[in-house]
Amino acid sequence: MKNQTKEPIQKKWIWIGMFLIMLAIVPWYYPRGGEVAIILGFPYWALISLFFSLVLCGYLSWLCISQWHIVEDLEENENRNKTGR
Amino acid sequence: MNLTFAGMDGIIILSSYALIMLLIGYLAGRGKDIHNSLSGYYLAGKNLGIIALFFTLYATQYSGNTIIGYAPTAYRTGFSWLQSISFMTIIIGIYLLFAPRLYVISKRENFVTPTDWIQHRFKSKAVTILSILLMLWGLGNYLLEQLVAIGQAVAGLTGGTIPYQYGVIAFVLVMVIYEWMGGMKAVAFTDVMQGIVLMVGIVVFLIGALYLVGGDFGSVTSFIAATEPAKVGIPPMDVSINWFSMLLLVGFGASIYPHAVQRIYSAESERTLKRSFSRMALMPPITTGLVFVIGIIGIMMFPGLDTGGSEQLVGLMANEIAAINPFYYWIMILFFGGIVAAIVSTADSVLLSFSSMISNDVYGKFINPNASEHKKVMIGKYGGIVAVAILLWLAWNPPATLYQIFVLKFELLVQVAPAIILGLYWNKLSAKPVFFGMLAGALLAGILTLTGNSTVFGIHGGVLGLSLNFLIAVAGSLFVTSSSEEVSEAEEMTSLKIEA
Repeated sequence: MKNQTKEPIQKKWIWIGMFLIMLAIVPWYYPRGGEVAIILGFPYWALISLFFSLVLCGYLSWLCISQWHIVEDLEENENRNKTGR
Repeated sequence: MNLTFAGMDGIIILSSYALIMLLIGYLAGRGKDIHNSLSGYYLAGKNLGIIALFFTLYATQYSGNTIIGYAPTAYRTGFSWLQSISFMTIIIGIYLLFAPRLYVISKRENFVTPTDWIQHRFKSKAVTILSILLMLWGLGNYLLEQLVAIGQAVAGLTGGTIPYQYGVIAFVLVMVIYEWMGGMKAVAFTDVMQGIVLMVGIVVFLIGALYLVGGDFGSVTSFIAATEPAKVGIPPMDVSINWFSMLLLVGFGASIYPHAVQRIYSAESERTLKRSFSRMALMPPITTGLVFVIGIIGIMMFPGLDTGGSEQLVGLMANEIAAINPFYYWIMILFFGGIVAAIVSTADSVLLSFSSMISNDVYGKFINPNASEHKKVMIGKYGGIVAVAILLWLAWNPPATLYQIFVLKFELLVQVAPAIILGLYWNKLSAKPVFFGMLAGALLAGILTLTGNSTVFGIHGGVLGLSLNFLIAVAGSLFVTSSSEEVSEAEEMTSLKIEA
C-alpha cells in the first residue's frame, strides 16, 4: 500500500515542467518592434501563448488524476465496507 | 451598464432567480440538524460529492466580475490579456502544492477553517491572530467588491428601474436567507445552478458577438492591427514581468483564500477532490478565455471608449446582441440574470467563510472556547450579518474600477501562504520567523499599495511582500534553534500517517 502513495510535492519533474510551461506562456522572449504576423485570427505570439496556456490546463488536469494518490484506496475501502454492511 | 432592452423583463427574471435560490436553500437545510455542528453548517458535513464540489469551486472562483470586469480589461489591454487564462489555471497548480496533504490532515484533525491548521501547526497566538486579521481583511474586501458588483449588475439589467441600492439590498437579503437556512450545503447547491447559467451565458454571448462582427474573428484582429497596433503587438517587457507577477499573485492568493481552503476540507473524499480539481484546470479557456475573446470583439464593435466608457462594454454589447432577434433578447436577459447569480454565488461563499472564521476562530478560540457548537454557529451567523451591514454602508460609495480592487484584496491575504504551505512540509519552520515574515510582508505590500506603487517594475506589491515574507520565515527558521522535540512534534503534525 505504501509504495502506491503518490504526492505531487515529492516529484521534482512536476514543478520543473510547470515552470517551463509558464516560461513558454509569457511572451518575454520575442524581439520587439516590426510587423506582427496574424495566424488564425491571432497575432503569432498570442497563438503560441494560447497554445502553451492550453498545455498548462491539460498538464495540470492530468497531474491531478494521475500523480495524486494518498488516501484514496483507504477511503474507497472504507466506503465499500460501509455500504457492504 | 445601462441596458435599454431590459426593464420589466429583467425584473421578472431576477425575481425568478431569487426564488430558485431561496428554494434551493430551503431544501438544503430542511429537516437536517446542521446548526449544531461547525463542520455540518460550514463544511456541509465534509461530505460534498463531485458535482456539488466542482460547481462550488467553479462558481466561487469565477464571479460575475470575471465577465463584466475582464472583458473591459481585454478591451483596454488587447491580446496580452490572454494572461487571464494562465493565471486562472495556475491556481490549480498551487493547489497541487498543498491540497493533497492538507486534505489528509484536515480530515484527521477535523479542521473547520484555515486558521485551525495554522494554530495546530505553530501553536502561537501571535501567528494565529495575525493570520485571522489578514484573512478577514481579504475576505471583507472581496465581499465588498461582490456587493458593489451586484448593485451595478441589477441596476444595469433593469435599465435603472431597480436602483443600485435596492438591487444590493434585495440580493443580499436573498443570499443571507438561503445561507441561514442551509449553510455550506445551500451555498454549494445554489452554486450548481449559478455555475451552469454562467457557463451557458458566456457561450451564447460570444456567439451573438461573433454574429454581429460577421462571424470572422480574423477580421477583428486585422481591424485592431490597423487601428490600434499596440493591442496586437508583442507586449513590452514590463507587461511580461507583470504577467509573471500575476501568475504568482493570483495563484497563491486564490488558492489560499479561506473559502478556497475550506472547499478542500468539504470534499467527501480524495477521489472527489482531485477529480474536481482536474476538471477545474480545464475551465479557464472556456471561461476567462471566452471572456477575453468577447473583450477583443468589443474593440471592433465599439472603438475608442475611454476607461470609464469601456467599463460599460458588456452592457453595450448585450444591447446590440439583444437587438438581433427575440431569441437573443431573452437569452441576454437570462444571461444578465446569470451574471447577478454568479456574483451572488461568489459572495455567499465569502460570507460563509467570513462567518466561519468569526464562529470558529475569533469567538471559538479567543472569546469563549467552551461554548457549544450551536452557540458558535449562531455567533458566526449574526457576525456575518453585522459584517454585511457594515460593508453595505461602504458599498454606497463604490470604487471606480473593478479590476484594481481585485488586485488589492490579494496583497495582504497572500501573506498567509508561507505559513500554510511551507508549514506543511518543512518541520523546522518555527512560529516567530513566520510571524515576523507575515507582518513584514503585509506591511511592505500595504505601504506600497497605499503610496500608489501597487506595482514596482511591473511586479505587484503583494508579490514583493510575499518574497520578503518567505525570506524572513526561511532565514529566521534556519537561525532559530528549535529543540528536537519541537521538530519531532511538527513531524507528527505534518505526517500523512497513512499506515495507521
